[in-house]
Amino acid sequence: MSGAVDLSPRIPAARRIGPVFGGDLLLAGLVGLILASALGLVLLQPAPYLVNMIGQLAAFAILAVSLDLVWGYLGILSLGHGLFFAIGGYVCAMHLLAHAYAVTGRAPDLMQFMGWKSLPAYWTGLTSAPYALALALGLAVAVAFAFGLASFRSRVNGVYFSIISQALVYVAMLLMFRNDTGLGGNNGMTGFDVLFGWPMGTPGIATGLAVATLVALAGVLAGARALVASPLGRRMLACRDDEARLRTLGYGTTRLKLGIWCLSAAIAALAGILYVPQVGIINPRVLSPDLSIEIAVWVAIGGMGRLSGAVIGAVAVNALKFWLSAALPEAWPFILSGLVLAVVLGLPNGLLDLATLRLKPTWLRRGGPRP
Amino acid sequence: MVEGPGRFGLAGLLVWIASLVVQPALATAAPLDRGAFAAALCGDGAAQTRSVESFLGIASEAETSDVAWAGTALRALLDRRFACLGETALLLDRAGAAEGVDAATGAARPAAGGRSPVLGLRQRALVETASGAAVLLTAPGVEARRTGLATLERRIAAVPEALLLRAASAETDPGLRLSLAAVAQSAALSSADPARRLAAIRAVSEAPSGAARSRLSALKADPAYGTDPAFRATLDAALARVERAVSIGDGLAVLYNGLSFASILFMAAAGLAIIFGLMGVINLAQGEFIMIGAYATYGVQEALRRLAPAWLDSYLLVAIPVAFLASAGVGIAIEALILRHLYRRPLMSLLATWAVSLFLINGVRVAVGSQNLQFSMPSYVSGGVPLYADFVVTWNRLFAIAFAAVTLVLTLVILKRTPLGLDIRAVTQNRDMAACLGIRTRRVDRLAFGFGSGLAGLAGVALCPIYSVNPGMGANFIVDSFMVVVLGGVGTVVGTLVAALGIGGANVLIEPLYGAVAAKVIVLAGIILFLQRRPEGLFAVRRRR
Amino acid sequence: MSALVIDGLTVVFGAFRALDGLSLAVDPGEVRAVIGPNGAGKTTLLDAITGITRPKSGRIHLGDGLDLTKRSEAEIARAGVRRKFQKPSVFPALTVRENLSLGCGPGCPAATRSARLAAALSETGLEGRADVPAGALAHGEKQWLEIGMVLASEPRVILLDEPVAGLSDAETARTAEIIGTLRRPDRAILVIEHDMAFVEAVADRVTVLHEGRTLFEGGMAQARADARVIEVFLGR
Repeated sequence: MSGAVDLSPRIPAARRIGPVFGGDLLLAGLVGLILASALGLVLLQPAPYLVNMIGQLAAFAILAVSLDLVWGYLGILSLGHGLFFAIGGYVCAMHLLAHAYAVTGRAPDLMQFMGWKSLPAYWTGLTSAPYALALALGLAVAVAFAFGLASFRSRVNGVYFSIISQALVYVAMLLMFRNDTGLGGNNGMTGFDVLFGWPMGTPGIATGLAVATLVALAGVLAGARALVASPLGRRMLACRDDEARLRTLGYGTTRLKLGIWCLSAAIAALAGILYVPQVGIINPRVLSPDLSIEIAVWVAIGGMGRLSGAVIGAVAVNALKFWLSAALPEAWPFILSGLVLAVVLGLPNGLLDLATLRLKPTWLRRGGPRP
Repeated sequence: MVEGPGRFGLAGLLVWIASLVVQPALATAAPLDRGAFAAALCGDGAAQTRSVESFLGIASEAETSDVAWAGTALRALLDRRFACLGETALLLDRAGAAEGVDAATGAARPAAGGRSPVLGLRQRALVETASGAAVLLTAPGVEARRTGLATLERRIAAVPEALLLRAASAETDPGLRLSLAAVAQSAALSSADPARRLAAIRAVSEAPSGAARSRLSALKADPAYGTDPAFRATLDAALARVERAVSIGDGLAVLYNGLSFASILFMAAAGLAIIFGLMGVINLAQGEFIMIGAYATYGVQEALRRLAPAWLDSYLLVAIPVAFLASAGVGIAIEALILRHLYRRPLMSLLATWAVSLFLINGVRVAVGSQNLQFSMPSYVSGGVPLYADFVVTWNRLFAIAFAAVTLVLTLVILKRTPLGLDIRAVTQNRDMAACLGIRTRRVDRLAFGFGSGLAGLAGVALCPIYSVNPGMGANFIVDSFMVVVLGGVGTVVGTLVAALGIGGANVLIEPLYGAVAAKVIVLAGIILFLQRRPEGLFAVRRRR
Repeated sequence: MSALVIDGLTVVFGAFRALDGLSLAVDPGEVRAVIGPNGAGKTTLLDAITGITRPKSGRIHLGDGLDLTKRSEAEIARAGVRRKFQKPSVFPALTVRENLSLGCGPGCPAATRSARLAAALSETGLEGRADVPAGALAHGEKQWLEIGMVLASEPRVILLDEPVAGLSDAETARTAEIIGTLRRPDRAILVIEHDMAFVEAVADRVTVLHEGRTLFEGGMAQARADARVIEVFLGR
């Protein structure tokens, strides 16, 4: 509907960093820290559980950045990003199972469970890692494209979009809970014994995965930073703040939103790909609507509309979760809900408000509602 | 689904009973020679068989007192409390007692020298059947009669139809009467008389049901199906008729279930739609307001159980205001404490309501536990009326439907006829203008939020008799409720109603064909496609932007 | 040949006919004012031209015959129709320069872009504010920035929706001045305004709308003298 709109950057690069990029130094520092910890993992060889935890946190951070790109910079709150994460995770799990089967000859549990003599046709080629990677990203982008096109074309946005995306992930969860999807049903998939021909579960593999995830996070952050600072990024902000106005300036916003939405889905799938070999299992619970909302919660807590905020939020909330759900499992849901309410009410820009010392809760401010 | 009584269409049943009343059911009082009967029981196996069979033959016409007497004698015989002394028989209190009463006269006599007749395997079964028949015809307790019928069923071929008919016409318990009819039907279907069988087949097809279908299908294996063309034609016609009726009945049942599901959805979504239309807040805790309503209902039930057990059955009605106020109260508190600060930040208010829902679910889980709550079912929500084939209008679902209808009317009245409703509509349509006219929009927001939450609480009452109640129950409704709001459009009760009916109906219609998951997938895809044409929902008024 | 032709345009909201068979033609080089009481359909007319509202029937043609009723908002903008909204519609998170750059439109070559940016900055007098976020501008400055965004795209048709609403006298005078500089022989300007003195200062001709139809078309002086116009405006 929007004719030939060229999204290539033509506007001269902004000479100064806009107000939303106040955290830019922070981001640079963050990327440095991420790379330093990757190096630290290699040199110091910390305890395997710590390595594993850092790797998982990094995967969650990638997921949070993918959501922040569409929510913080484009104003599209997806409550279904777990879907793309799960697509990456499931395809990765399929690859690992197919690969392990090919290397060891030991039939995966799934085959026995389903009563298969061999893996069905749609597993063909999944022993190849590049094909699996392409399939995971391609599938995530295809699903995102179909859903995004249907929604953006008919100008479904705001909370409408949010709740429809939630229904999408909910339906996907119901679908994956069924055994006849052939992807493990309720039990999901586990028993990943081999990675690139190496036996899983060794400290070396754990370190390798964690380092790869950290490096991927740094790469995603650098790429996302380049994107949001580019003229295209300016257009994203314009679209977030007043989409109708941007259209009357001649920009087809459907294409802009669809492009970034698909990019975000691919990044979320990448996070899923990196996450699954580290936890060793995938099941339909990653598709629970609550998990998808939690991603938004990480971003909100860290500070939406800033890439560093997404990373800080994801790492802070999940580190707390790792610690508390072991130490005080009963209390964790209460702490999480308290945290969300505190941030939403008191720190509209998330934890970064603390960093910039803007500690003025809304309920202490006088006057009418803030825009 | 339906438990207990009600597998047969009532009308069909009556037709069937009428068709069986060829001879009058009531006894023309043929006397039973008690002495001869007792003597025969003391005789050899052949005599026993003859006498018991003849008793079964006349039991449908004998005096009730005679039948009861024969039942007592047969029971005693089975329990070895029957002693023969020459040509007479004694009934003993327990096996081997020294004294008993004369079987024929009832006079007390010593039992010395008496012998207990031995029953052969074949005779024992026959005596059991006859004893069961006597119990069925004369026992005062429903449970005893039901046991008697169960005994009869084991050897139904030996039981004359007239006996069952007499039992059916005398039976006062409707459930047992239906069971009797079913047993009598099976008996007639396996009757040796071809004419009677054909009549029975036709009669069964008059009262179509899934059970009737399987009963008739079983007859296809009968040798007569291959050899007797009349039998075959009658059976095929009857089966076709039953199958058609059963599918219509099942269709009606699906629609009925869809209507009740839609009713719950409507009550959950009406509040959502009002709140969303007014404040732009998507309340992710709406499912938990339903849960609060259900828990309030449980609280009312437990309170009545302790304080006024006589009133226990009325708990569902007492719970209506309680659940409404409980949910509305929580809603108003949340509005005042949290959401008030978040208007104009709809995505943040969405996250805040999620946090609230997380808090409520886990709060209830810690305080009450995560098991399903047990509700006692008052008579007005248990059972139902069989209407057609297997379609039974169950009271619990009718309760939900009626409840939703009343809620709909009340909501419309409140929105269209009260000052609060006028304020709500004014603020929904133009908040700034309403504020300029002196409407206290904040107060309207709060009351409307309470009202919308209260509606969810009512949904909680209505679903107690149908769905299981536990802390996480809200999640089962929330996604569908949102879809109702999206499809119906914002701020229109009629749109919400139509969308709830559509989504509830589509879910239950697709479910039997492709399964529950496919139903959800298809409904979601349908909604997304629909939004291509009308992004603002079914009933949104086109406005200048 | 006219730059903008509106023919039998009807827009319906529910049962309400906001525009009822309206026809209007604006010549190149002309500044046309559309006036009328509240609810006459003035803003709806601009919404229909810019593609925000779909008409029920009727046609809107540009000079070269392009039918705007079949085009999206973005296509209409790229065809050279630009609008300044009633409420200042600038992007608060972006700087003045970035706003103007967006105003150039998506198809603008880099070389012309910088020239147009400089021109727009100077014509609106915002040179000193180029790197200030638009959210920090004063109300009047936002109005000028928005006019600058319109200018930067070198449009064929300019639509101005109440450009001086809420401005001080001095700001109104400055705005009239800026609109004067917008006028070009190959450009049609349609301005909606309540301020009669302002309309008289900028417009060549006026069209008076009433209940979605044209009540009067001609010079401002005749409009002031027209009995029907007086009745509509003064309620007599």
